[in-house]
Amino acid sequence: MYQALLTRKYLTSKLMPLLAMIAVMLSVVTVLVTWSVMGGFLRSLLDSGRVLVGDVAITWPATGFAHYDDLIEMLEDDGLVVASSPVIEAFAMIQLPDDRTEAIYVKGVDPASFDRVTGFIDHLWWKPLDTPTRRDKDAIDWRLLPGNRDDLARIFENGTTMTRPDPDGGPDEPAALLGIEVTDYNQRNSAGVYEPYSPAKAHPDGTIEDQNTFMPRSGRVTLTVLPIAKGGRLTEPVTRSIAIANEFQSGIFEADSKTMLVPLTWLQDMLDMDEGGTVAEGSNLLDLVFDPETGEFVPAPIVTTGAAPARVTTVLVRAQEGVTPDEIKAACERVYREFAGKYPGQVPRPESIQIQTWEDLNATLVGAVKKETGLVLFIFGIVCFTSVFLVLAIFWAMINEKTRDIGVLRALGASTNGVAAIWLSYGFMLGLVGSTLGVIAATLIVVNINPIHEWLGETFGLVVWDPRVYYFVEIPSEIVPFNALIVFAAGILTCLLGAAIPAFRSARMDPVKSLRFE
Amino acid sequence: MTATTTHPEAPASPPTHGSILSVRDLRKTYKLGRVKVPVLHGVSLDVAPGESVAILGASGSGKSTLLHLAGGLDRPDKARKGAPRAQITFDGRDIARAGRGELDRYRARDVGFVFQFYHLLPELSVLQNVTVGAMIRYGLGYARSRGESVAHARELLDAFGLGHRLRHRPKELSGGERQRVAIARALINRPRLLLADEPTGNLDAETGAQILDVLADLREKFGLTMLMVTHDANVAQRADRVVRLGDGLIQQD
Ligand SMILES: Nc1ncnc2c1ncn2[C@@H]1O[C@H](COP(=O)(O)OP(=O)(O)O)[C@@H](O)[C@H]1O
Ligand SMILES: [Mg+2]
Repeated sequence: MYQALLTRKYLTSKLMPLLAMIAVMLSVVTVLVTWSVMGGFLRSLLDSGRVLVGDVAITWPATGFAHYDDLIEMLEDDGLVVASSPVIEAFAMIQLPDDRTEAIYVKGVDPASFDRVTGFIDHLWWKPLDTPTRRDKDAIDWRLLPGNRDDLARIFENGTTMTRPDPDGGPDEPAALLGIEVTDYNQRNSAGVYEPYSPAKAHPDGTIEDQNTFMPRSGRVTLTVLPIAKGGRLTEPVTRSIAIANEFQSGIFEADSKTMLVPLTWLQDMLDMDEGGTVAEGSNLLDLVFDPETGEFVPAPIVTTGAAPARVTTVLVRAQEGVTPDEIKAACERVYREFAGKYPGQVPRPESIQIQTWEDLNATLVGAVKKETGLVLFIFGIVCFTSVFLVLAIFWAMINEKTRDIGVLRALGASTNGVAAIWLSYGFMLGLVGSTLGVIAATLIVVNINPIHEWLGETFGLVVWDPRVYYFVEIPSEIVPFNALIVFAAGILTCLLGAAIPAFRSARMDPVKSLRFE
Repeated sequence: MTATTTHPEAPASPPTHGSILSVRDLRKTYKLGRVKVPVLHGVSLDVAPGESVAILGASGSGKSTLLHLAGGLDRPDKARKGAPRAQITFDGRDIARAGRGELDRYRARDVGFVFQFYHLLPELSVLQNVTVGAMIRYGLGYARSRGESVAHARELLDAFGLGHRLRHRPKELSGGERQRVAIARALINRPRLLLADEPTGNLDAETGAQILDVLADLREKFGLTMLMVTHDANVAQRADRVVRLGDGLIQQD
């Protein structure tokens, strides 16, 4: 009882311990803001990582595997699977309208089922907009112009089907989707939106020709791939030109600057992975033979007698909401075993097929998240440790000052534990108030971090996250309640720990000696 | 703490029957580093219920030490071989051998301390300085006895002419007023024994006399037993009985 009374009195009359409280509050703010923003960046990075991958990828690289339609059907029959989609992944070179060549990762996808797995349509960039994006305060986004509406609506439609109409009225042609950063023709401005501009082509005679091209309207790229022959060997490069239907932004710079999506059948045809040719009865696509020329094991040549089925390198799977990565991976492995049992010798064995969750595929990112959490906790530890010493020093000084009062309380019958409890209760209250204010302040900062950031930019020209430089348009502004709780509790614990040693000392003080002070 | 039990010696003389506080063979030695400073060499003293005893002694003679021991704030020396064991008996209970919790309760319920320098808690108001004693005594149970305790505190402060200063801080009061608050605090738990350590030592003669009047009054009203130490013979004269402390012993007249 008297502990509560004294705590209240000390809280309102003592200045130094309030400094300790402010220190705890600042520690809480620092850690919680850092944790929220860093964690937020990595979470959005991870979410973006799923855009091109879905939840699980079943992969047999390079040569690919057959009967994937059947596998997809079997997967979609599974209760945990929402959708599944065939994909071919390959490395390629593209040549842009200004003659630059870029190495690129090309994915052959079937737009309808690919969207069901990844939701990529939401990430198509060129579409008519009614309201500006959050960062675009002055509504400078080109996509908002009413004059561009119809054009952009058509381009968006083209993106969803991955086709582009023939300007001469012929049938629609298959068209590709480029990552928004691939061409460098889209310039990201300070509002975090893209302004397209026309590429210019430099001729050997020194003249410069303005291409006057908006890629999704009339642009084309030339794609060069190295098909793997039915026999498994690389053959002559194949080069084809393809129209661009739209561009996408997944949110991961690596992907957006190095990925191109093309229609699956178009790429199958180009890579010679489509149905056709003939194949010998019983021969296995996956047999290896020793090639005396190169000294390496290469896939055995296939005696082509029967019809060869179409192949893909990857089947992507989307899990039901709430299914854990491990559960969906196990489900995929189960279905694949069944599938492999159905086609013995014709598809990769269950032991050798790669079944990876998006976490496996984004291992670097996931690892970064885990390291980041460790790092934050480490910094947190140091910050708290510092605060513990600060609280300790302040309480130590305060107990020196209060020696006589402690003696008086003992003379009035207070026990040693009772005296120690004064300082623990005082420490707890300082921690409680400091942590509460800290969490409130941190929440206010994090929730308003983008306005604050903008204000800093406008007032002091201090733009930390310039969308022209950094890929993130917005600073994540979400507090994870669990993290807030941990930081809150740690703030209180800091004060309790700092108070504990002085409290112990005050309990051990000889009341008679304290009373002789004057 | 109660290592006196390792040398169970019969006390030289049994506690006098009928006394509320009986001190026997009290020895206290302080250690200053490796130097031993013997202060009390075997003090014996009896105080009858309702009696007021003044202990007169020079500064440094060990008066405060004796008071602290009697009030359970400190422990006497462990008995040496062959020497009688120190005894402090209050109402039949041996305080010298009591456990820590029992000592805490003894100080909270049976004893009230008054000090030379008042020793009020500067952050608390006058009223809170008095009720804090009840808070300590009742612990969490104070919530229940709060009304009664506050009423009692007001009553005491009223009686001491401080009824209009309940919300004041100690530093806003004069020395005499502070000492009266300290006395009210000592009385809040209705102790039977009041231990006063030079209660007028810091006050001018007139104010000191007023304080002594208050104490005499209390004795009359509540039959309070009082043990007061002082170096001032005039102050000591106000008590029923005066004993002298010198050379670590009670000097026989
Ligand atoms: N903690 C201590 N350590 C050493 N000596 C002490 C200690 N406390 C008191 N003394 C000594 O004990 C003697 C008696 O002190 P005290 O009881 O305060 O005397 P009085 O109250 O009669 O003035 C003094 O000489 C004092 O210096
Ligand atoms: Mg003294």
